[in-house]
Amino acid sequence: MPSRGGPARWGGAERVNAEIRQALDWGLLAPLHLTARTVADGVYAGVHRSPKRGAGIEFGGHRNYVPGDDLRWLDRHALMRHTRLLVREFETETDRTLRLVLDATRSMSFRSPEAPGAKLAYAAVVAAALARIALASGDPVALDWLGGRDCRALPGTAGREAFDRIVGALQDATPGGDLTSDPAVVERSLLPVARHARRGSIVVLLSDLLDLPRAAPERLAALATHRRTVVAVRVLDPVEATFPFEGPVRLRSSEGSVLVETDGAAAREGYLAALEGIAAELEDTLVPRGGKVVRAVTTDDPVAVVRSILAAAGGEAA
Amino acid sequence: MSFVVVAALAVGLLVAIPLAAHYLRRGRARSQEFPPAALVPKRPPIARRMNRLEDRFLLLVRLLMVAALALLGAIPLVRCSRLSLGREAGASVAFALVVDDSLSMRATTDTGKSRWVLAQAGARQLLRSAREGDAVAIILAGRPARLALAATTDLDAARRAVEELRISDRATDLAGAVQLARSSLRQLPHVDKRVVLLSDLADTAAPDGDPPSWAPLAKLRQPMANCGVVQAEQRGRRVDATVACSSAGSARKRRLEVVVDSPQTDSTNARAAHLDEAPEAGRVLTSESLAVRSGTQTVGVEVGTPGADLSVRLTGTDAIAHDDVAPVAPEDSALGIAAVVDRTAASVLTGGMTTVEQALLALQGAATVRPLTLLPDDLRELRAYAAIVLDDPPGLPAEARAALSEWLERGGVALALLGPRVQAVQLGSTLEPFASGAVRWQQQPESDSIDLTSLSWLGSEATSLADLGARGRAELPGAPMADTRVLARWGDGNPWLLERTVGRGVALTAGLPASVELSDFALRPAFVALLDHVMSLATARAGPLRSVAGSVWSFPAVEASIQGPDGALEIRETGTEAQRPDEGDTARRIATVELAGRYRVKLGEVSQVRIVTLDPQEVSRQPSKLDARAQDDGTSAGTSQVDASAELALLLLLLFAAELVMRLLLRTRRQASART
Repeated sequence: MPSRGGPARWGGAERVNAEIRQALDWGLLAPLHLTARTVADGVYAGVHRSPKRGAGIEFGGHRNYVPGDDLRWLDRHALMRHTRLLVREFETETDRTLRLVLDATRSMSFRSPEAPGAKLAYAAVVAAALARIALASGDPVALDWLGGRDCRALPGTAGREAFDRIVGALQDATPGGDLTSDPAVVERSLLPVARHARRGSIVVLLSDLLDLPRAAPERLAALATHRRTVVAVRVLDPVEATFPFEGPVRLRSSEGSVLVETDGAAAREGYLAALEGIAAELEDTLVPRGGKVVRAVTTDDPVAVVRSILAAAGGEAA
Repeated sequence: MSFVVVAALAVGLLVAIPLAAHYLRRGRARSQEFPPAALVPKRPPIARRMNRLEDRFLLLVRLLMVAALALLGAIPLVRCSRLSLGREAGASVAFALVVDDSLSMRATTDTGKSRWVLAQAGARQLLRSAREGDAVAIILAGRPARLALAATTDLDAARRAVEELRISDRATDLAGAVQLARSSLRQLPHVDKRVVLLSDLADTAAPDGDPPSWAPLAKLRQPMANCGVVQAEQRGRRVDATVACSSAGSARKRRLEVVVDSPQTDSTNARAAHLDEAPEAGRVLTSESLAVRSGTQTVGVEVGTPGADLSVRLTGTDAIAHDDVAPVAPEDSALGIAAVVDRTAASVLTGGMTTVEQALLALQGAATVRPLTLLPDDLRELRAYAAIVLDDPPGLPAEARAALSEWLERGGVALALLGPRVQAVQLGSTLEPFASGAVRWQQQPESDSIDLTSLSWLGSEATSLADLGARGRAELPGAPMADTRVLARWGDGNPWLLERTVGRGVALTAGLPASVELSDFALRPAFVALLDHVMSLATARAGPLRSVAGSVWSFPAVEASIQGPDGALEIRETGTEAQRPDEGDTARRIATVELAGRYRVKLGEVSQVRIVTLDPQEVSRQPSKLDARAQDDGTSAGTSQVDASAELALLLLLLFAAELVMRLLLRTRRQASART
């Protein structure tokens, strides 16, 4: 079970024990099982149309013949009627594996007083909702991790028990790891994804996109081959998204040993620009390869976020 | 200090709270976790500057506020050390301020201020605490004690009088000052009377009496280590200086230096030296170490004939620097007295000095007695003397009479003791200006004793002439010359002592010689008293060439001016004062010498140098102890309460306002910096 009433990371008491401090702050997002189901029910539940065209049972339309097309699909009746070579196409219903990659590094455990829960908790809710939707459609769902401790990766499975396994794995996850001290974590985490993700798979990365190595966007974009779709969901805490500080402040990063002394009002604009620059850079890398970047804040409605992800995965604008 | 005051002041310890908060805030300045901290641009200078601005000014204001609050709670119980008058049931007080203006009050205390400054400040504080209806008198305790301000209820006048007080080099006359203070308060109707001693008490103890005296300033009675030059005199090629020291330690490692004061001199030294080049001023001629002992010591040094005015000074430092320098009195500054005496007639059988010389020396004045066999007939020689005593003169030749008359005209005083030789006056000689015509010597006088009632002006010593038993007398003329008065008579009414005024001078004529064979007149105390009278007359006319600080110089009605160490000295007219009952009233022009040093006096065409010296007791005497009652009697308060609540409350309000303004300014500045 996730820890209720998380540790006071925001200027809170110092005497909480280390175990509680390391546990994920689920806040208002617990229990994950119910929250994810509620979110999934709020999303349009239905079988998504497979974008894959080719051999199948339902007619999908005509197109001009190009050399190399299978002559079996040449429509003779159309040739006689229109004196043109047309090829018949069919839509086929196939399974599309959903691969969820969750960032469980230390920065994902951050939660400000205004937020309903930690960033990882919010990402887990979204991931579980996506898994439920995918499983309901008969698509297998796999789970991978970026950093974290005691995180169990799950291969792509379908069926009724798959949702429970995914929820259990998400609940057992403990934030940990430092991307600044170990940049190879990204490569180690994405390598099995690239290896196991089949053609047409949808890869959803849920991360705050902070402290990622410089090569991370390229690594992520490399997944968008073999007709795979990559959606990067940036999950931020409202404090991170708005930078509401005023006056002199000293800020300490979760990963690495960065300590910044600054004036809140004076630094806000520069910070927000740098934050947006990270997302924009990833977007510039992913979009040409059919990927999308979805921006989310933990105070956003998870239903809307899931719809945005589904829309992005379906090729619409996020 | 009561518990309430301590508790209120303890509130001041709360200044530690804003101080601690300041350091805590500076130390931990809102440090918090923020995962994307690496993306935040650093602005430490702005942050630190703003932090510093806010912290320092606000911290200061807050500390001041807490301190002011603590003081506000303690007031009016805070006491300030300041003299004031305690009152019994609020009644008016009559008090006499005895302010000691003697030399010893120049001593520096451990506060860095002199006793005089502290005493004057104490007088001001006491007058500040006086109220309408209080009476105050101010008495100066320098010798002789003087009334600076008669008892008055005009407090403004008293304050002005205190401001006009000046310290002098006088000795201390504490007893006289206390008596004067008591007498000045005696006639006042006030029930509560005080005598306040603002003195170092370096004198004999003040006499007991009513009202009792109160000496509130203990700092004035701190012991001092001091050495001072009392006087210095040139004798031939030597300079003898009298130095007084309060302790042996104060004389240790100190030397007496003889210094050239100024090349010009009015004395005969320059003439005697016959020097072409006068020594430059400030040059040290010689020096001699002081003996390491307390009390008075005489230090003699050889100086030769420098031909200049000299000073002596002590090396090193002590409590009173003012008395470390003194002018050297020239050799001819002593009052010269010529004794024209026939040794064979006026000496006792055992030999030695004549009775006249012995009597003059017994006076122990600053006079130089020179025995002469003949009266000089040259005026220049007579000028060296202020007084001449002639014993049994056998008449005076014409040249001597002319010189003597002119000398008398210029202020000389001569006493002729007529004896048997008046019958042997030579041809061409007379007894003028002492007596006109022939004077007869009576071997068997009708009366051989003096009428003591006619001699009462001489004082108590006049009674010693009772039963004189003279074996002869000079029969002075019954019809005396003009300007002549009879000062004393024989028992049968014949004149015995005449006084004739000749110009500024006086000629005294007595009808009895000093010879012990004719009478024991010269052996009686009245003879010394008569010579003392002559000396005082001579001193009054020739002027005291050496005197002690605080002396009063009187001057005849001629144009006079005095230049002292402190500039020109004022000569003022006083009221009439009768010196003797039969003398009549005489207008006086006097000057009071407050400071020791060299004075240049010009009387008409005559110039002279007068030396004013110190009292050795004043230099070396330590303050005397005072009984506890006099230190702090119950009716007089040494401290007073000061209520400054209104001022502190206003300060507190100002501080509050300052903090508000500062916060507004900081907020505006922060917003402006955020915009930029």
